[in-house]
Amino acid sequence: MKIKSFDELSSLELDTLREIGSIGTGNAATALGQLLEREVRITLPEVRIMGYNEAIDWIGGPEAVTAGVLVGMSGQMSGVMLSVQQLEFVNLVLETMLGVHINDYAELDEMHQSTLIEVGNILISTFINALSGLSGIAVSLTVPGFAVDMQGAILAVPMAMYGGTSDYLMTIGGNFVCDKKQVPCHLLLSPDVRSLNFLLAKLGVAE
Amino acid sequence: MNEKITVGIADMKMARDSGVLITYALGSCIGLCFEDPALRLGALLHVMLPMNMEAGRKNVFKYADTGIRETLRQMTAKGALKTRITVKIAGGAKMFEVNGGSLGNIGQRNIESVHTILRQEGIRLIAEDVGGKVARTLLFDVATGQGCIRSYGRQDVLF
Repeated sequence: MKIKSFDELSSLELDTLREIGSIGTGNAATALGQLLEREVRITLPEVRIMGYNEAIDWIGGPEAVTAGVLVGMSGQMSGVMLSVQQLEFVNLVLETMLGVHINDYAELDEMHQSTLIEVGNILISTFINALSGLSGIAVSLTVPGFAVDMQGAILAVPMAMYGGTSDYLMTIGGNFVCDKKQVPCHLLLSPDVRSLNFLLAKLGVAE
Repeated sequence: MNEKITVGIADMKMARDSGVLITYALGSCIGLCFEDPALRLGALLHVMLPMNMEAGRKNVFKYADTGIRETLRQMTAKGALKTRITVKIAGGAKMFEVNGGSLGNIGQRNIESVHTILRQEGIRLIAEDVGGKVARTLLFDVATGQGCIRSYGRQDVLF
């Protein structure tokens, strides 16, 4: 049976998506570890189906400023994938790769920004490659977009995309752990409902 | 200090005489401040999409067309007159510059839809701060009719 809305997913389907999240985030962590030349682990990935206002509370409030890298997906699967980079993560990347530390996003110059975009792009592409290899779904990705702004507005991008069909936002993703410290960098995959059905069917779990 | 009333996404709240209505982090979404100055009745609406094409129409405030009409209905039910009601809007930004994909410019479509519906309903639009690529938090003081827009990396805008 095809689902019409994210809140209709069965527990088997949710487990499958969690597994996708685990493999995707795991691969992304390995890529990040190679970039930073240190060990990066992941926290237990989560699949969340949230109402709009709930999603914004979950990520840490609407007005908190974060950096976001966004990549659009098309091909056999459409939707967006976001890398929401909070300040701790930004500093982990900038300190390791460029040797600079920032206290506020306003200090980001062009070099810093393109570093963050590239890291975000690598994390997202690695995640999607893993998903693609696992399911045999061909996904093409757009050039990444970058914004530093209130995270409520960043998270509203996938919400607005599916707002016409769903009152919920589904995200698959996890956080990184580096030097035993949790570094918040939410990797969020938000496919649309049609793509989600296709993915579940490809993986053989659509009921 | 004035009481603050938070308006969520796809939501609308009304206040009379006093109170500050606030909605956070408008990206491509649009916030609309409705006011009937004679009654000192104000409403703040946060819509996300231009048109309601949903079959069930569960959440009217998610869309510009049904959201605006429902807000006007509730205001007139409290005695407001459509000829007196004025509107100020903020939002409709484009957060990410991404070529291709299925993103489109929802912010721009929202702005156009809000303009069209207000014209159809004969409601005066007296101020706007829309477009661009900056997120906005919108505050609306019902007692004075003063609106304020807070953004990251930009001065507050009073309107």
